[in-house]
Amino acid sequence: MNEIGKPIGATAARAGAFSLLAAVIALLGACAGTKHLEIEGTFPIPLIQKSPVNLGIHLDDALVTYIHTEAIDKKGEWEVSIGPAQQQLFNNLATGVFEGHTFVDGVIAEAPLDGVLRPTITEVQFSLPSQTRSNYYEVWIRYDFQLYDRAGNLVGGWKLPAYGKASKKNYGSASNGLQAAAMAACRDAMAFFSINFSREPVVARWLAAGKPLVPPQPQPQPEQQQPASTPPPDATPDEASSV
Amino acid sequence: MKRFALALTAATLLNGCVTATVQQIRQTETAMAEGDSIVVMGRRNRPSQAEAELDFIDCVSRNMGSGSGSVAVISEQAFMDAMFPWFEPRTAPLNTTDLPSLLRQPVLAERIREIGLKYLVWLEGSTTRIGQGGSLSCTLTPGGGGCFGFLTWENDSSYEALIWDAHTAKTAGRVSSDAAGTSYMPALVVPIPIIARVRSSACVSLAEQLKLFVQNSS
Repeated sequence: MNEIGKPIGATAARAGAFSLLAAVIALLGACAGTKHLEIEGTFPIPLIQKSPVNLGIHLDDALVTYIHTEAIDKKGEWEVSIGPAQQQLFNNLATGVFEGHTFVDGVIAEAPLDGVLRPTITEVQFSLPSQTRSNYYEVWIRYDFQLYDRAGNLVGGWKLPAYGKASKKNYGSASNGLQAAAMAACRDAMAFFSINFSREPVVARWLAAGKPLVPPQPQPQPEQQQPASTPPPDATPDEASSV
Repeated sequence: MKRFALALTAATLLNGCVTATVQQIRQTETAMAEGDSIVVMGRRNRPSQAEAELDFIDCVSRNMGSGSGSVAVISEQAFMDAMFPWFEPRTAPLNTTDLPSLLRQPVLAERIREIGLKYLVWLEGSTTRIGQGGSLSCTLTPGGGGCFGFLTWENDSSYEALIWDAHTAKTAGRVSSDAAGTSYMPALVVPIPIIARVRSSACVSLAEQLKLFVQNSS
């Protein structure tokens, strides 16, 4: 007997039952709560003929802190942190694809840089096998690339959709499966970028022209208060009447 | 306690019967020289039921790289990283006709020479449960517990390896491995699993045949 007059075995059994209940509640809480995933692993350096360009790469805060959040029916909320992996991804990508590169803080660069590349993630989607009735965890990432000349003038841009999948046969949990699919999507983006960078019409034209400074793009004008049909002040009466 | 441990040991030693069949089609002569290596890869260009499991690919690679007649094997991930971005799901060559244009790229040809790649083995296939039956129930009470019943299930493994010669950019041949077996689990208080190691059997027989195939000893 213990000090409060109950059999030790019964107390231990109650403690055990309480622990079990607590564990079940914690487990249910974990199932219903937000699942956080981060892309882990290393990215390879592309084995490719280097493009004759020395670029600055501007990764803004929105990219390096990018987190995709999605609520899935009966599966809770998921947070996929894609941003932190981008620095290593673009460093290895640029090492293989460009003759030279440097990370820069803005879109204006100094010689010897030829220009600045600014990638952004515009959209992320993922799906679980239970949603698609397939064997795969799938991740889609849509990148947007903008190329600037040294003076910060926009040379042009292009979009890059990337896709990654991971078979549920290979991954015991949804977290591991999604993580693998997200990693595969990042590798797909790298692969597609590596092979197609020099072929992108915007890039190909700019490289062929000798990577020149491009004329600044006209800034969009604020809307005029006057009606569009109002002739300019220096227009002649004839011109004014023909407007 | 001693009896229980004995029963457990016996159970782990009990294996169900597996029948395995290996077939091969040879299209060209093959040989492995000093410094030559091989890589075993899964096809992942499209979602497919026949996408080989990562651990099966790993099993075939390990078995080819060990035992008698072993050959130098590069792991799939190491090969994909070394050849990045040319063997990713979206960029990997689908036919041997795609190989010559790849190998014409100087950096790629140089890397293939460095790693000594001679054969590229593409694996497809899967292991599936094709039948099951019986029932088993377990009870847990404060006084103890136990199980009673009988379960049985049948697995089928079917894999095919397509061998490409990286030097000639031609298909060297195909090796297929099929294995089937039934597992049982009788339970009289303690369940005793008698597992048919179907996938493992398919892996070992495929790896052994591939070793013979690439060394032209079959």
